[in-house]
Amino acid sequence: MDDDEPGTALAPHDALAIIAGQRAVAARTYPSATLLFGLWGTVWLLGYGLLWLTSLDDDTPAVWAAVVAAVATIVAMVTTAWHMVVRTHGIRGRSALQGAMYGWAWFVGFLAQGVIVSALANAGATPVVISLAANAMATMVVGLLYLAGGVLWESYPMYGLGAWVLLTGAFGSFAGIPGSYAVLAFAGGGGMLAAAVVVKVCGPRRA
Amino acid sequence: MPDDELDPVIHAQARLRVVATLAALGEGDRIAFPRLRRLLDMTAGNLSTHLRRLEEADYVMITKTYEGRSPATYVALTPTGRLAFDRYSRRLLDLLGSAR
Repeated sequence: MDDDEPGTALAPHDALAIIAGQRAVAARTYPSATLLFGLWGTVWLLGYGLLWLTSLDDDTPAVWAAVVAAVATIVAMVTTAWHMVVRTHGIRGRSALQGAMYGWAWFVGFLAQGVIVSALANAGATPVVISLAANAMATMVVGLLYLAGGVLWESYPMYGLGAWVLLTGAFGSFAGIPGSYAVLAFAGGGGMLAAAVVVKVCGPRRA
Repeated sequence: MPDDELDPVIHAQARLRVVATLAALGEGDRIAFPRLRRLLDMTAGNLSTHLRRLEEADYVMITKTYEGRSPATYVALTPTGRLAFDRYSRRLLDLLGSAR
C-alpha cells in the first residue's frame, strides 16, 4: 500500500494524529482571532480609558490622550494588515475574496462614521453630542462587523462579541460624556479581551 | 476499492499530510506551491511526486498561472478529494472504534 514509503505501515491512530497535526499547521494560514481581539481590546481599553480619565474634570479629553489613542489605533491597523498579509500569503480563492471584502467593509464603515460625525458638527451639534455620536457610531460599526464576521466564519465568540459591543455601546450612550468613554474602554475593550481568551481556549476555528 | 478498506491513495504518511493540510483550508481555496511546501516541510521534488499521484486520482487540482511575469502554481483539493478525505477520516474512526 505504501508504494513510495516502503516499511512505514501507518496505524489508524497515527493517521488520526497526523490529521490533527496538519490541521494545526494549516491554522497558520488563518488570521489569529486571539491576536486580533487581544490587540484591539488593548487599544480600546488604553485609548478610551485615557479619554475617559482625562475628561473626568471638565468633560473634555486631554489632547495628549487623544494623540495616544490615535497613534495606538494606527499602530493596531498596521499590525492587523501585516498579520493578515503574513498569515494568508499564498492563499487564493474564496476565503481571500471574503477576507478582502470584509477588510474593505471596515474601511467603508469607519469612513461613513467619520463623515456622519463631521455632518453633525457641521449642523451645529454640541461637543458632547458630537463625542457621544462618535462613540455610539464606532460601536455600531464594530458591533455589526463582528456580527457579520461571526456569520462569515461561523464563529460564536465573534458573533457574541458583536452583539455585546453593539448593545453596551448603545445603552452606554445614556452614560453621557465622559461616562460613554468608560463604557467603550471597559465593556468594549474588556469584551474584546474576553473574546480573545475564549477563542484561545476553544482553539482556532477550523481545528 | 471495497468500502471497508482505507483509501490507498491517501493512506501513506506523506500524502495524508498533504491531503489533511489541503482539507483544512477553506472550501474553494487554493494554496501556492511554495507556501504548501513550507507548511509541510517537504522538498519540492518530493511534494511534486505526491501531488502528481493525487492529481491522477482527481483528488487535487494543480493550476499554473502567471503573477506579473513570474509563473505561479496553485494547489487545491477537488470536491472528489474532499469527499475521499471525509470518507477516509470516518473509516479511521470506525477502525479505532471497533478496536476498542
